[in-house]
Amino acid sequence: MRIVSIAAAALLAGVMTGLSGGAFAQERTVKITGFGAKSGVVRVFGVNSEAAMKAAAEEINKAGGVTLGDGTKAKLSVEFLDDRCNAEEGISVIRRIASTDAFVAIGPTCSNVAESLFGILQKKVGDASDSGLQFPVFADVAAKGGLAAISEWAFRNVPSELEMYKSLFAWLKREHPDLKTIYGGVEKDFAHSNATYGVMKKQAEENGFQLLGTGEWLLNDTNFSTQVREMRRANPEIVAISAHPFTTCGVLREMDRQGVKPKLLIGLTSSSSIETLQGCAKQAEGIIIPTSFAPVTPEAKAAAENVSKQGGSMDLHSAAAYEIMFILKDVIESQKIMAKPDTVQADRTKMRQGLAALKETKGLLGKVGRTNDREAIKPYLYVYAKDGSWQVLHKPSS
Amino acid sequence: MDFYLGLAQVIGVHTLLGLSAYCVLLTGQVSLAQAAFFAVGAYVAAILTVIFKWHLFAALGVSAVVSGLTACAVGFPALRVKGLMLVVATLAFGEAVRLFFFNFTYQIQAGELKIGPHGAEGFRQIRYFPEHGWSTFDVLVFIWLMVAMVMACLWWLDQSRAGAVMRAVGEDEVAAHSSGINVTAVKVSAMTIGGVIAGIGGGIFAHYTTHIEHVQFGVILATFAIAYPILGGLSNVFGTLLAVIFIQGFLIEGLRFLGDWRNLLFGALIVLAMNLRPRGFLDSGGVASLKRMLFARKESSGA
Amino acid sequence: MDLLDLIDAVQSVADGVLFGSTYALLGIGFTLIFGVMHKINLSYAAASIGAAYGSLLLLSGFTAAPAIVVFMAAALCGGVIGALVYFIGFKFIPVANPLATLMSTVGLLLLIDEIIVHTTEGVPLAYPALYSDVVVRFGQFMLRGDLMFVFVLGCACMVLFLLLLYRTRLGIATRAVSQQPIASQLCGISILQVNVLTFVVTGMLGGIAGAMSGAAIGMLSPLLAQPLTVKGLIVTVIGGLGSIPGAIIAGLIVGGLESLFQFLRGVTERDLYIMMLLFAFLVFRPGGIFAKASGRD
Repeated sequence: MRIVSIAAAALLAGVMTGLSGGAFAQERTVKITGFGAKSGVVRVFGVNSEAAMKAAAEEINKAGGVTLGDGTKAKLSVEFLDDRCNAEEGISVIRRIASTDAFVAIGPTCSNVAESLFGILQKKVGDASDSGLQFPVFADVAAKGGLAAISEWAFRNVPSELEMYKSLFAWLKREHPDLKTIYGGVEKDFAHSNATYGVMKKQAEENGFQLLGTGEWLLNDTNFSTQVREMRRANPEIVAISAHPFTTCGVLREMDRQGVKPKLLIGLTSSSSIETLQGCAKQAEGIIIPTSFAPVTPEAKAAAENVSKQGGSMDLHSAAAYEIMFILKDVIESQKIMAKPDTVQADRTKMRQGLAALKETKGLLGKVGRTNDREAIKPYLYVYAKDGSWQVLHKPSS
Repeated sequence: MDFYLGLAQVIGVHTLLGLSAYCVLLTGQVSLAQAAFFAVGAYVAAILTVIFKWHLFAALGVSAVVSGLTACAVGFPALRVKGLMLVVATLAFGEAVRLFFFNFTYQIQAGELKIGPHGAEGFRQIRYFPEHGWSTFDVLVFIWLMVAMVMACLWWLDQSRAGAVMRAVGEDEVAAHSSGINVTAVKVSAMTIGGVIAGIGGGIFAHYTTHIEHVQFGVILATFAIAYPILGGLSNVFGTLLAVIFIQGFLIEGLRFLGDWRNLLFGALIVLAMNLRPRGFLDSGGVASLKRMLFARKESSGA
Repeated sequence: MDLLDLIDAVQSVADGVLFGSTYALLGIGFTLIFGVMHKINLSYAAASIGAAYGSLLLLSGFTAAPAIVVFMAAALCGGVIGALVYFIGFKFIPVANPLATLMSTVGLLLLIDEIIVHTTEGVPLAYPALYSDVVVRFGQFMLRGDLMFVFVLGCACMVLFLLLLYRTRLGIATRAVSQQPIASQLCGISILQVNVLTFVVTGMLGGIAGAMSGAAIGMLSPLLAQPLTVKGLIVTVIGGLGSIPGAIIAGLIVGGLESLFQFLRGVTERDLYIMMLLFAFLVFRPGGIFAKASGRD
């Protein structure tokens, strides 16, 4: 009986402390909520984003925290919700976040969730006839083209694949004027890879490469012999694969088996991660991928280490989440956000205004421009797989 | 508050999905094609409101009819197979429909944008609700009106002779056939009604998620569709509702505080539920004991 | 169609058929459980992949275990998982409730999937393959060494399994229980023992199938569970529920057809044709290739 009452007292004390939310603490805490996929095959993205957000929060807190509108300093804390890459759940999650005191959310991971999520936001600010949700959402990973244009409350910090592949193919044409033919490969049933392949194809042709054909497969295909055989018959000099690590590795292995050895291999931005190297480092040797993150500056290296300490790994997607935290700090301070329960709607409007007004933000690889469409123009470089790790191939000067 | 309203919306639409499978399950058929009828309803309703600018109610009506006709068309060949074969046949049909939408592109120019379904990229910007100023509460009321209507129809059906006939076919086809019931007609009717309900649900689904794509209507959704009536029990429609609340409300949203453990518990709790109550939450035994609890108290207070 | 196309078509089909031995093994597992228990185990493919992951986990301590040892570890894990699946998903649910078992196996499928995702963060893992560098050439034709090994291993398993079923006491007991459960009990056969052993043996088969899939692809990913489940069900049904030879032949056919449709029509329509074919097949020949002579459903 004694044990039960002691346990009950401890539990009660815990609950009371939790409920009072640190009223006895000197400083305030502002919670930033992130959300994304922490289930299924895309779990690693959610884990990395969460780790990146926490690492950034720690850095910000070490430097003193954020200064709120009334002059007090507050520490940032991070919460991450799992939307399981499901549109309905994503909408549920954002409504959940919007029903708290939060004034911004970072996410989602999956482009299909972003489509639905941005779709329920108010399209134009101030449109009284539009009953959409009025809550700013800042996407770190969802990479399908043109998503932020859906709503004026939607912002993204993802690299422009159009820009990256445009510049990549132009550079390749200059570096290798002897290479003329290209063969493509695409994961047809995944929105991101499918859309990016359209970009790759267009940019390759605009830069004077001749597209000999395209191999198509599905996200969970296992047998690529037919597609690779067609590739072999075409005998291309360059092969561009727009697919995620699992099928990219499958295709590369099949190419190895059938003796298809193009002079250049190009991959999808998302595949410039550990997954590809873990799956098929040998076959992926030499694959060139444009990316918006590589640990090339001291800042980037330090950030990557901090993220590892939080249990994730830094790649172009989680780097975006890391950068967003600092952007939010700047906007909180410049817009004098109060972060009090009675200023919630005002804070959200200020946050949106602040984000929309940004012309430039600070990124880990340099300055990041912001467009009128609320997208980001991120600096990028080309990496290639060498000896089981990603090395920098070329850093475009512009 | 908005969050609870949104959750209630999801529960409503999933109840429609579950009821469409429930209808078919009453006649003893396990159909994994309900997600396909849901998809047909979603695409048809979305095309009508976005491209042809129809009113939502008219669009839903048409989507219900189209889904019902599709279900009717599936029903006839499906009758030749029973049991597990039907499960696989309906699964195959469901996947075929999903793959159709994977390939389906029908876009028109609207100003500087193209609108309409675009193959693998899906159908985006189905913004009927926000554009017409429907608040979360308005949408919720509309969804639950439809759910209530469907549940009332199914309840009435159950109390009538038609319901008894359906359950008879479900219990023992041979016996039902021997008593002169036209088993074919009953099964196809059940499939058709299921298709109509799924069509309504799908149409609403397209509008509250504003973006639909083929991936959403796959095997997982089809499995959820039959999970609701199986978990809920087949004795009446409220079982399905209870199962939807259990899965969407409790397992998905309620267990969120468990963080990563939530997903592990999802599968584990379903297994547990099936072990503890194999006939579903509200099976005939459960309903009987509920009645006893409620009415026994009334009697004792009267006496 | 010129000669080159013809060669490619034949090559595609050959590759597909070799890969189909994986489907055949899965089909055997599904069909056997259905035959004995008259219930379907939807978690079977996920359990097979899980067993392959388990083998990686078991041998993670040893740096370079030969592939054969990994396969045996997968079989071992498969057997253990099979027994667990029986006790959690089948034992306590009354025989008269096939729907409840369907749902409980769905729950198990979700559970196994999530366990895999949580331990590996969803990232694909490399899987050892035997003879992955070997390619046998006949002029223009090329047969993958590792797929041929997988095919031979699959055939060996099938032969062993058929021997088990038709020449041992356990096999007789299993067939007896599947045909006449009450009579078998009267003859003193323990249904519990037969059921557990059925699940263990099919679990081991599944583990080998999972390992073979991993070896043929070179990687394991949780993405594999869903398509293997769907294909396994298709193979089971085409082969005829409860028929082992049917499952074997159907597995090879489905593997070959898949490749053929891919070659002829490309990926976006490939699965559409398979599904429509399956639907038509079920409508016109609901019993499968080798329809069982007796028994209902």
